[in-house]
Amino acid sequence: MHIRFGQGEVILALLFAALGILWIATAFGMPFWQGFAPQSGFVPFWYGVILVGLSAAIVVNLVRQTEAAAEPPIGKPLIVLAALAGGILGLDLAGFGPSVFLLLLFLFAVVERLPVARSAAVAAATTAVLLLIFKAWLRIPLPTGPLGI
Amino acid sequence: MDAFYNLAQGFVTAATPANLLMCLLGVLLGQIIGVLPGIGPSAAIALLLPLTFGSSPTGAIIMFAGLYYGAQYGGTLTSVLINVPGESTSVMTAIDGHEMAKQGRAGVALGIAAIGSFIAGTLGTLGLMLLAPLLAFAALAFGPPEYFALVALGLTALAAVGGSVLKGLATGVAGLIIGSIGIDPQVGVPRFTFDQMWLFDGVDFIILAVALFGLGEVLATTGMPAVKPILNIGRVLPNRQEWRQARLAILRGTGVGFFIGILPAAGATIASFVGYIIEKKVAKDPSRFGKGAIEGVAGPESANNAASAGAMVPMFSLGVPGSNTTAVMLGALIMFGLRPGPEMFTTNSSLVWAVIASMYIGNLILLLMNLPLASLFARMLQIPYSWIYPPILAICLTGAIANANSVEDAWVMLGFGVLGWLMKRYDWPAAPMVLGLVLGPLFENTLRQSLTLSHGSGMIFLSRPISAGLLAAAVLAIAVPAITALILRQRQISLPGT
Repeated sequence: MHIRFGQGEVILALLFAALGILWIATAFGMPFWQGFAPQSGFVPFWYGVILVGLSAAIVVNLVRQTEAAAEPPIGKPLIVLAALAGGILGLDLAGFGPSVFLLLLFLFAVVERLPVARSAAVAAATTAVLLLIFKAWLRIPLPTGPLGI
Repeated sequence: MDAFYNLAQGFVTAATPANLLMCLLGVLLGQIIGVLPGIGPSAAIALLLPLTFGSSPTGAIIMFAGLYYGAQYGGTLTSVLINVPGESTSVMTAIDGHEMAKQGRAGVALGIAAIGSFIAGTLGTLGLMLLAPLLAFAALAFGPPEYFALVALGLTALAAVGGSVLKGLATGVAGLIIGSIGIDPQVGVPRFTFDQMWLFDGVDFIILAVALFGLGEVLATTGMPAVKPILNIGRVLPNRQEWRQARLAILRGTGVGFFIGILPAAGATIASFVGYIIEKKVAKDPSRFGKGAIEGVAGPESANNAASAGAMVPMFSLGVPGSNTTAVMLGALIMFGLRPGPEMFTTNSSLVWAVIASMYIGNLILLLMNLPLASLFARMLQIPYSWIYPPILAICLTGAIANANSVEDAWVMLGFGVLGWLMKRYDWPAAPMVLGLVLGPLFENTLRQSLTLSHGSGMIFLSRPISAGLLAAAVLAIAVPAITALILRQRQISLPGT
């Protein structure tokens, strides 16, 4: 079967619907109404119902569309996302400074294929500025690793 | 005369060296952010919030306001020089502005935009100064039903501004859902925390704003091709004939922009569209439009700057934002422990008037900065995006961790960043989601208080004239664009091939 509507957008709408269903199901386990007053589950339950209804209407609209818009490629954003996830994982292992430096170097030199020396210099300068502002000036305890930064 | 006395007091506060520096920093950052792709004023304010912890709320809000209207100036540069609007508010400017640049009149386009923006921003601030206290005074009579209706209007109006009302409403309700995570504001028990301790405090609005406006925007823009800018700026001051053509356009743009700006969520983008359409309608020779008509730059540029000032009216006086950026500013005010709304003018009068006074100063700084430095800012357009987005990502990551010194927040940001990317990819608006999160507790509290007051009857919202009127406006905000879209679709069906 040839599907003409944007599958990615349908998946997004279904994600929103799933969120609504989760809220309806969870709200059922909460007090709903007592005396004259609505309780904890009342408003979230209706949020869930409205979100499911809106998501269903969006899906119907998408399915009825005769043509799907061309979707931009997802390769590069996924690589950037994976690099960012790696950078977050590295925060606890290597500390803020090395993780951010390596994340920036990877994005500049590997993903964007920019000159390595200049990439390293910009990555180091950006990391240093962030450390100066957040750690030295604002005294925010950013994660530290074996190097102490 | 109270307004002028309060304004004088505001100037005293705004003119302290620290606040002047914040104003200068705000407009300069706004100008740069307006020029750079992949980051808008909403994300910039969210990212700067951790830097303002511990500082004076007055200075921080002065900087954020400066960043907001400074970005309107910056967005014009990209519209004129590369035909890519830096902000949605500059879409209409690109039509005639870029044509002027191709004719070697880029400087005049930027010059008239700066002059028009200065006049509109100054007159708009005057309107804000006179109108906001009146509105705040009227809103002092508001009870829970009126506040509920007001928030409903804010959410629906913001949802209706984008391309699809359904998508806007869905993201708004999803924001309300996210806002319900954590401790129930009325009875103090945890809900929707799924036994996760880190969810007890709910999802922080900074994390959501950085993820949706920062990370999501970067991911959606990474594959963007580079565009060569026109760097021949030329003279920036308009000659006598150009000034004669533009001056009335500036005044018309100011009037229409301000009044559109004060409508909850109508915003500067719509103002610039209407500003352009009006100029084309009143022109003796409409065929000049699209071919480098100076009124096509002066009208929408004045309209979007006046609307930026107008959008502050509902934010300060009612606590309902008039645009995406003021939605984030509203969150910032709440973070500083302030409650935007009618009480702001009595409990935090010095802050409000200092911000208003700083807007006069900021607009003057922008005019002085833009006329001689237009070519310098234009050179920033030569920086390839591949050098820009990795540092933006690093700032997003640092901002997320610094917010609560928590690496978990970085994971939350990553998750919402993926959502923001998908939403951007399929044109689902992010602002209603952030607004839903920010206004969620007020929305739920006032709904529950109203229903308790009325012994469970929903008629309380319809029996009180103000709440009924506001709810009717909310229904219209959804119905008008939906019906218009339906009529247009019917016409397309009945006219095949057109």
